[in-house]
Amino acid sequence: MAYAQPHPRLSVVSNSSLSSVDHLSPTTSSTRFSLPSAPSLHGAASIVKAGPNRPNIYERNLNKTRGAEVSGAAFAFLFSEIVQYTQKRVSGINDLERQLNTLGYRIGTRVIELMVWRAEGSSKTPKREIKLISVLMMVHTQVWKAVFGKPADAIERSVENPDEYMIIDNDPPIERHISVPRDMSQLSCSSFTAGIVEAVLDGLSFPARVTAHNTPNPQFPNRTTILIKLEKSVLDREELLK
Amino acid sequence: MSHHLFLLSPSDTPLYSLTHQSTKPVPTVTSPLASNLPTWSTSAFAGTLTALSGASSATQHTTSGAVRVGGGQDRHVIQMIANASLDVIEDEMHKQNLMYLKSVDKFNEWTVSAFVTPGNMKFVLLHEGKNDEGIRAFFMDVWELYVKTLVNPFHTAHTTIRSSVFDTRVRASARKYL
Repeated sequence: MAYAQPHPRLSVVSNSSLSSVDHLSPTTSSTRFSLPSAPSLHGAASIVKAGPNRPNIYERNLNKTRGAEVSGAAFAFLFSEIVQYTQKRVSGINDLERQLNTLGYRIGTRVIELMVWRAEGSSKTPKREIKLISVLMMVHTQVWKAVFGKPADAIERSVENPDEYMIIDNDPPIERHISVPRDMSQLSCSSFTAGIVEAVLDGLSFPARVTAHNTPNPQFPNRTTILIKLEKSVLDREELLK
Repeated sequence: MSHHLFLLSPSDTPLYSLTHQSTKPVPTVTSPLASNLPTWSTSAFAGTLTALSGASSATQHTTSGAVRVGGGQDRHVIQMIANASLDVIEDEMHKQNLMYLKSVDKFNEWTVSAFVTPGNMKFVLLHEGKNDEGIRAFFMDVWELYVKTLVNPFHTAHTTIRSSVFDTRVRASARKYL
């Protein structure tokens, strides 16, 4: 009975899936650009009916950030649950890191789009970063600020491998309340952050493999290095455009 | 005057498309090739051939006030022009740091304008005539609507956009600016 009427909070999902059923038939032409025709207006009407006092996401202002910060405690709790949930479903540390990376990637695709929209959305000539160095600096400063509220502590280029860059955070906020068991000392929960970085770089078409590593020093026991290994195509393109 | 909008994911999959008939006047386009065309109207490919050659008058003379069909208005020709412009867009987006690439490509009466978001989504718009400022404003609206769609946790990135509210809003913006 509980499922007979969808909860108003789920209205976006239930309505879109309902109204899309009849549009999935493959009767339209089969070219690359063909799409099921856009859903008709009755969908919109039922959304309004489902939640009269709940504005839908298209009516909200994307610039409202004041008072929208999440408390550190709430995030620490959520992230702890994420790690535990993931750990139950994987075999080994590598797998766990990969899963955390995947989860971070989903955050990253949204971070890049929303962050740049907030910065450029009102500009007459919105710009995207196309230079490798400025993209890396943007990740180091703006992305970190948007996600963690502070810039990262350092960015370095690897001496032996020209395709590797490192972003260093002395005290990553997401690991502040995590102590990794001794037998899993390899694990870095910042793989989640690595996933965010990977998505941002992918979005700006600088594909790379991004991993997280513990690099503690006496002063900062939580110090973490996000290692960015760029794909060869990126370096080739940089060389061409010089 | 009609407009065709396509939203393409980073892997060039179409996520949304819209055809908008504008009430604003059509600029007269004269295509030199069209007059030299033999009458192939009996051939199965007549529509495509006339369209590719630039004839926009294939079926235009039927009624005066009716919506144009055939010629450069064929659906598959539109899709082909939009697809073909992707190569130019890919080239330009690595050279220019602007998101709005105005008039990147031309094909007969069609001009292709594009907008590349930081997440590498491509908005491709086929239009006739020049309307840089209107198209820019339209793209900015679509971008905002797209960001709102994307941040919804129930929307999986790079999947077809089926929200009816999104559709309504894009249409409203098209009426306003195009």
